[in-house]
Amino acid sequence: MGMLDYVRGFKVTFERLFDERVTTEYPKEKRPKPERFHGRHVLNRHEDGMEKCIGCELCAGVCPAKCIYVRGSDNPVEDPVSPGERFGFVYEINYLRCIHCDMCVEACPTQAITESKLFEFSFTNRSDAIYTKSELVVDDEGKPRKQPWELWHEGDDLNTSGWMRATSSAGRVEYEGVVGWSGELGHGVRSPEVGQSATASSEEGA
Amino acid sequence: MSNETASEGVMVTINGMEISVQPGDLVIDAAERAGAHIPRFCYHPRMSSVGVCRQCLVDIDTGRGPGLQPSCMVPVSEGMVVDTESEGVKRVQEGILELLLINHPLDCPVCDKGGECPLQDQTLTFGPVESRFIEEKRHYEKPIAISDLVYLDRERCVLCDRCTRFAREVAGDPLIHFMQRGNQTQVLTFPDDPFNSYFSGNTVQICPVGALTAKPYRFRARPWDLSEVESTCTTCSVGCRINVQSSRGELLRYQGVDIDSVNHGWLCDKGRFGFEAVNSDERLGTPFVRSDSNPDELVGTDWNTALEAAASALKAASGSSVGVIGGARLSNENAYAWSKFARTVLSTDNVDAQLGDGLCAEMVMSLPRATIDDAATADHVLLLAPDLKEELPVLYLRLRGASQGSTKLIELAPAPTGLTRYTSAAHGYRPGEMGQALDELLGGATGDAMRSGRTVVVIGRPSLADSPGEVEAAVGVAQRLLPEATFLPALRRGNVLGALDMGLAPGVLPGRIANDGSSQAWIDTHWGSIPTERGMDTIAMLEAAASGRLHTLLLIGADPLADVPDRDLVERAFAGVAKIVAVDTFATASVKRADVVLPTTAFAESGGTTTNLEGRISTLGRMVTGPGTVRDDWTIAAELAWRLDADLGLESLPGIWAEIEAVAPSHARCSPSMLSADSEGVLVPLPVVAVPEPDEIADDDADTSEADTSEAEVDEEQAEGAAAVVEAPSVPASVSWSAPALVDPPAVDGYALRLVARRRLYDAAVHTSQASSLAALADDSTLRVHPAELGSLGVESGSRINVTTARATIVLQVTADESVPRGVASMGFNQPGISAAELIDHREPVTEIRIETR
Ligand code: SF4
Ligand code: SF4
Ligand code: SF4
Ligand code: SF4
Ligand code: FES
Repeated sequence: MGMLDYVRGFKVTFERLFDERVTTEYPKEKRPKPERFHGRHVLNRHEDGMEKCIGCELCAGVCPAKCIYVRGSDNPVEDPVSPGERFGFVYEINYLRCIHCDMCVEACPTQAITESKLFEFSFTNRSDAIYTKSELVVDDEGKPRKQPWELWHEGDDLNTSGWMRATSSAGRVEYEGVVGWSGELGHGVRSPEVGQSATASSEEGA
Repeated sequence: MSNETASEGVMVTINGMEISVQPGDLVIDAAERAGAHIPRFCYHPRMSSVGVCRQCLVDIDTGRGPGLQPSCMVPVSEGMVVDTESEGVKRVQEGILELLLINHPLDCPVCDKGGECPLQDQTLTFGPVESRFIEEKRHYEKPIAISDLVYLDRERCVLCDRCTRFAREVAGDPLIHFMQRGNQTQVLTFPDDPFNSYFSGNTVQICPVGALTAKPYRFRARPWDLSEVESTCTTCSVGCRINVQSSRGELLRYQGVDIDSVNHGWLCDKGRFGFEAVNSDERLGTPFVRSDSNPDELVGTDWNTALEAAASALKAASGSSVGVIGGARLSNENAYAWSKFARTVLSTDNVDAQLGDGLCAEMVMSLPRATIDDAATADHVLLLAPDLKEELPVLYLRLRGASQGSTKLIELAPAPTGLTRYTSAAHGYRPGEMGQALDELLGGATGDAMRSGRTVVVIGRPSLADSPGEVEAAVGVAQRLLPEATFLPALRRGNVLGALDMGLAPGVLPGRIANDGSSQAWIDTHWGSIPTERGMDTIAMLEAAASGRLHTLLLIGADPLADVPDRDLVERAFAGVAKIVAVDTFATASVKRADVVLPTTAFAESGGTTTNLEGRISTLGRMVTGPGTVRDDWTIAAELAWRLDADLGLESLPGIWAEIEAVAPSHARCSPSMLSADSEGVLVPLPVVAVPEPDEIADDDADTSEADTSEAEVDEEQAEGAAAVVEAPSVPASVSWSAPALVDPPAVDGYALRLVARRRLYDAAVHTSQASSLAALADDSTLRVHPAELGSLGVESGSRINVTTARATIVLQVTADESVPRGVASMGFNQPGISAAELIDHREPVTEIRIETR
């Protein structure tokens, strides 16, 4: 084996040496995440501040990981928590079990539960991993509440309810692009994403 | 809807398949059996068909060509051709559903029925894909409370007439009706007249949508997070079959299970919502012992300390100075464990499951027993019972239903009962004169009518203010004058008949045999030697305790202070006894007086079996874990035995049942597989195949010759056993009983009224008071007197008065009530704040009260 072989071994190294760098300095630096990234959930509120969750347990029923615990209760007549008779009295998600499949988001009849892009948590105990209503319900600006163990980056708290807006609420093509949901605290009524049929052709080429 | 006399089936063709069905069957049922489910809303097999929802329209061809007809209204006929899947049927099914949904709010996510809703399910299966209606839906105020327990959401109602029909036809409480017309038709109560029915919960269960919801369950869970197990309600001794449903270890709902022999799917509200008492925060979760430093205080402790204290209290007493009271609320297995514990470890026969408020155990066991079905199909039912509507509600439903058919109810009661309006003849009697009144009644034409047909006599304590001897004498009269009649004991506590069968009565051993020496050989082989001297019943034990002859009282789920009809006696007994050990689920008045309190499991926290008033054994389901460190009664008994240097030899519930099968002759061959095979349960004793009677039987106690038909079966079995094995002791004969003679009625005191004290459904006991939704329903703490009596006494209706007996004077509100006979005053036995027990002296045949203005 000659010297030349030794140099030849660095061929790939030299070839790539001046290419654009692909690694990132995580966690100091983060790459932008896709708009429909599945992170931890938020419980949204209506524009008037009322909670959207009505405690129907459909999310809990559909969850394949059985990590949601919901209990409904009669809405206090004087100071209702949500519109209607019933509200989500207990709401808990166990993030040691959640697989971020978003089935809960699809099941929710009121768009109460949606997912953010936040996924970096470092719990030091199990109970921190169980998010309750006080952690999940959005704040008065309609933004997720930052927990001490969560790592947030610029823009992570945006579009917390963005992904599902591409499709119509009834799931039918003729309603694509038609706003079929109620406004949201801090966000109001946002316009739908460009429909899937509009982007389908460009994605096919990719 | 089946016709029992049918022999030949009717041939019909359903969806091309030819099947034979019972004549009289409705097409909807016949199709179901042929595997074709026809959607329906208004049809309910336990109520008359009304054909109002039109969802069940199918093509029926009786020779004139197919036409759409409501299958719930049309009985099958020979050669009928039914098509449940034709194009026309599909279109009409879609059409009806589309119409039903025009005004339906579709608030399934917040609707209790969502997930188990016939409207949801049938819309998915049979409905249109889309509605053409875009108009605003009709709106009503929602929900409105139509009673303390039931909410109505008129927007969801599909006007099926099930709830209203139930109230009218089944419950006999026609308090909800359709009102208005056309598009405005709605179910409503009359103003200021709520749906206060003891059976209101059934409407919630049968409503095919979520229009009716029950307050105790509302929003507590969704159907998919409930787990369920089948069980038997033990709130009273009717033994309705139920599904016990829980979520996350908490009981949330009971639903009636339809069994032919008992409840037909119905439940009373006390049973249905009784899970709240099991969930109560007041449940005892740890043992308590009386504090050394402060004798007024019970302090929480660990099991070891408490069991040691209980064992030493029991050890200090000898066989005749210990008494065991209670057990009527336990499963058969637990009752058996205590029965064996008392006899073999405590060496006492002082055991009684009844609290001086029941009937003589030997009488109940030796009378030929009727079933509920026997009563509901008899020609005559003679009621010598308390108010069945208040004490055994679903038995009341069954008898009320029977009275609408060809069964005649004949009542003999000191004051009217819930069934009085359905009787064909209701006779009164002055308290104390029951036997004489019955003698007169049965001696006449009524008796002749009853003797000529099939008669069932329902026996119980018509008033707790009278001595039980009066009932016994009356039963003797009934037996003498109605020799063919069978008897249904109307005893109230959940498993009181099971407890008696397990030997929790003095002189009675498991399996309805007498502890009088005749059964010694038999019981010795199973239990070892036990005292054969007849022990004391509850009243005698309390008297012994009051005079200092009893050292220790063991209360097993018993609250004598509330339930024994003589408060003064119980007070003296508790003062006279050295130690009280209580095994219970709640800190009742009596438990608070105990020296050692051992917490035990409640309904749905343990398995086993229970026995209803017919002698029907059915299984209990275990669904949740009890609070704290509660234990099953049988483990407590076994543990106490061990601490008293004995071994009960009981290791598991199935093991105990196997032992019961072997020891209790009446329960022989009643295997666990038989019990679990059928929701209907098993009636004991099981009929036996007749074998020729060997001669040995004649050697037995002369009493056996009096044995009636049901005992004869046991006798036959005895013969079988005796013939098969030479060495083994023969199966002893069943207990026997002979009626006491009629005694002269007590002389009438013209200045006094005779008290009639009866239990109400909702009373001060834990089943009501610890169930948050039911507690407020317990009321009527008033004394009811005929207005003419009040007039002659110069007392205003509604005023508070002094009621005086030889025992006590208590202050009560008095209400004028036309239905109460003259010379009588009627009150609830144990209502919040007042107790008739304070007035009653158990030694007196009747309770005479005097009323004075304050
Ligand atoms: S994302 Fe999926 S796993 Fe997570 S809570 Fe929702 S349904 Fe459950
Ligand atoms: S988040 Fe949505 S699906 Fe879940 S309970 Fe609330 S309203 Fe129902
Ligand atoms: S309330 Fe329910 S049961 Fe009553 S009529 Fe309406 S849908 Fe039928
Ligand atoms: S009638 Fe008796 S057994 Fe039936 S539900 Fe009511 S309490 Fe339970
Ligand atoms: S079920 Fe036959 S008309 Fe309603």
